[in-house]
Amino acid sequence: MAIRSVRHVSAPGPGEIASAVIVAFAFAVPFVSDSQLVYSLANQILIAITASFSVYIMLRMDLMTFAVPAFMALGGYAFAIASLRGGITDTIALAALAFAIPALVALPLGVLILRLRGVYFVLVTFVLTQILDLLLFETPGLTGGSNGLVGMPPTTLFGLTLDDNRGVLFVAAGLTLAATLITAGLTSYFRQHFAAIEENEVLAQSLGLVTWRYKVLGFVVAAGVAGMAGFALVNMLLTAHPSSFSPISSVNYIGYAIIGGRGSMLGPIVGSGLLVWATNLFSIQGEYSQGLFGVLIIIVVMLAKGGIVGAVASLCRRFTRHRRDRAGVAPQTAAREASTPL
Amino acid sequence: MNGDVGAMTSHAGEGELRVDKISMRFGGLKVFEDISLRLCPRDILGVIGPNGAGKTTLINVICGKLAPAAGHVFLGGADVSGKSTHTLSRMGLVRSFQQTNTFRTATVRENLSRAIRFSSGSAESWRRMEELLDRFDLSQRLDEQSDKLPYGLQKMLGLLLAYATTPKVLLLDEPAAGLEGRERSRVDDFVHHAQRDPGCAILIVEHDMDLIRRLCPRIMVLDAGRLLAEGPPDEVLSRRDVIDAYVGAIDEEDE
Repeated sequence: MAIRSVRHVSAPGPGEIASAVIVAFAFAVPFVSDSQLVYSLANQILIAITASFSVYIMLRMDLMTFAVPAFMALGGYAFAIASLRGGITDTIALAALAFAIPALVALPLGVLILRLRGVYFVLVTFVLTQILDLLLFETPGLTGGSNGLVGMPPTTLFGLTLDDNRGVLFVAAGLTLAATLITAGLTSYFRQHFAAIEENEVLAQSLGLVTWRYKVLGFVVAAGVAGMAGFALVNMLLTAHPSSFSPISSVNYIGYAIIGGRGSMLGPIVGSGLLVWATNLFSIQGEYSQGLFGVLIIIVVMLAKGGIVGAVASLCRRFTRHRRDRAGVAPQTAAREASTPL
Repeated sequence: MNGDVGAMTSHAGEGELRVDKISMRFGGLKVFEDISLRLCPRDILGVIGPNGAGKTTLINVICGKLAPAAGHVFLGGADVSGKSTHTLSRMGLVRSFQQTNTFRTATVRENLSRAIRFSSGSAESWRRMEELLDRFDLSQRLDEQSDKLPYGLQKMLGLLLAYATTPKVLLLDEPAAGLEGRERSRVDDFVHHAQRDPGCAILIVEHDMDLIRRLCPRIMVLDAGRLLAEGPPDEVLSRRDVIDAYVGAIDEEDE
């Protein structure tokens, strides 16, 4: 019998590897284009990808989070304050800080709120973002209040000053690649644990899984990843301002992840790419884009749970199965492959 | 019964489950009161009673899903009352579910692999399962998605998931419910196997009286949250008050 050959599959899958490759291509943008528009779009997409990875991590455990803007703000302001007050300009040190501060804040919060179930968790993350938004306005001594923080010196890397548009895009690409690797590492290493929590938490607990520990771990890493997106955003805008982290913008990041497809890391990438591009193309600003994303989320949830990536993947499978059936291959093989996650 | 409890405290072996006068209430509603029981390794205890007697709630309280309103649960001599499900599971007290309960979109292999992984099991856990997988015709279906299995096999997989954690005490909540006659003998196989290796103590809540008679040298009858009778099945099931409790329940359903 072959069952002893079972290994715990925790290596990155094709979806995760493809994600890292696609994100790595962002480094090529400065070499193939001079257009400010392209730079700006690439920056926005990269930030959106990083932020929606934060949503993606929590969705692995069937938890919806509205706290992404809050943790982005913590990361962004951590960068701004460290840069202005501490004189730190090294990009790697700043990135580590932008990850660590939100993660440290998320740890005790996670222990408290992840004992809540489903909808209560969602509500608390939403309130959290509202509270942080208020705090940013009410602590002008630290955050500059409604003026925000400006005048951060350009970041540096190994003595290089990253002060032009290329440099800013380079930082965003580096942060996104790091976020991709962190997300891929976490979700593939704990794939079985997260999937068990997503599908049947009661059973997982009764088999001995300490579920809240994994949820807190996911929440902490998701917060850190969001913080890196906040760093990239503040670095792009040259200002840390509360309006960049409005509570309602959480809908965008949820939209990117769900419309793109929550089943694979490619989902947030495709969703961010398409939706940020479309938002720019049609110049849909502010409330309208969120309204549109809301409608799209409803459509996806009702018609195509796997989002764009999930729909394309199932179309591909149907196509290959159709061809294979014609070729007379045993249908059992096709059925087995259909159950393999992307 | 109370005299028994006094005797029980004297020694507590490894893997022994002792439930001492537990009560459970939901608000003002009393589910059961002053239930005590004791299970040593390789013991099999049947718990029967009409619907609503509090049998499933008893399992939920013992396994830590619900905290008892009063009383204590001891596992291997340690007081584990109010501890969480995962803590008790890791100590070797594992339950199965009345409904089919698997990781639905995962394959049979992944399901078992998760059970072993979450309970910090090893290759030994896989080896121990081979015989049962063969007997339940699951060894050829390891790569099938678990919710595509026939109902009976999903139930057996549920039992195997509990077994895969190498438990010391198994709480089985209506393992035969919904199974056809032929499939029910698999529950017998499972219980005997678990009793032999790794030597589990097993508590079975069940409505199938034939199964209870076959498997359990000792049974408890719960009625409306109190212990009605306890002893060998033939003796207990011929008692007038036990028959009345069941017949009474049937009458009520007919009305």
